[in-house]
Amino acid sequence: MSADTDDGIVREIGHDEFDPVGTASLIVVYFLILVVMWVFMYFVEFLGRGPTIIG
Amino acid sequence: MEIHRFEKIWTVASILLLIGFIASIVYGAVGPGVAMVDEEGGTVDVETVRQGNYDQLSNFGEPTPVAQQVSGDEYRANIVAQRFAFNPGTSQPLQVPADSTVTLYLTSPDVLHGFELVGTNVNTMVIPGQVTKVTVEFEDPGTYNIVCAEYCGSAHHLMEGTVEVLPQSEFEEVSS
Repeated sequence: MSADTDDGIVREIGHDEFDPVGTASLIVVYFLILVVMWVFMYFVEFLGRGPTIIG
Repeated sequence: MEIHRFEKIWTVASILLLIGFIASIVYGAVGPGVAMVDEEGGTVDVETVRQGNYDQLSNFGEPTPVAQQVSGDEYRANIVAQRFAFNPGTSQPLQVPADSTVTLYLTSPDVLHGFELVGTNVNTMVIPGQVTKVTVEFEDPGTYNIVCAEYCGSAHHLMEGTVEVLPQSEFEEVSS
């Protein structure tokens, strides 16, 4: 930190102005991984392989 | 209360995700018809199964290596899982025709076993005193391995067998 910002608040922003874009994009990536894994697990591995129990 | 728009988006997305999970399971049940195993198979006397007096039982029959035709493309097969073999399955493979619907009746004369066709969702418990009834659709010819998926004793890891899905013509040869 430079000397002129040591003593206090640099910029005050409101609740809605704070956009944690980095965190949000990380969550989006996790979310997409989750969706892809679910689709793979359920539709490819579970439903897609050979005989299936139907009763 | 003030809610940040990122949080609103996240809340909606996670609700949609849950709806998606439920929707895909409903699709699995309604479309491909994936079903749960229930108590429909009924109960049997363990001693009768142990002695092999299958003719005394109304909901279980003599285990045979070739599936028995019920009607059209519907077949049934009785399988006894016991320490440490499937009968049929281990010493002789269970043979079923391709493009068929086979109802498997499974029971055990000793302890809890599992019946799993490796790599598929055909996976159920075999319970002494109960008949596990599962209906399975076999499409393409091929061989599936059966493994015991419930720990049943010292040779549990060696308890395995085979299901052979034969093309119709071959199946007719073995069943005649």
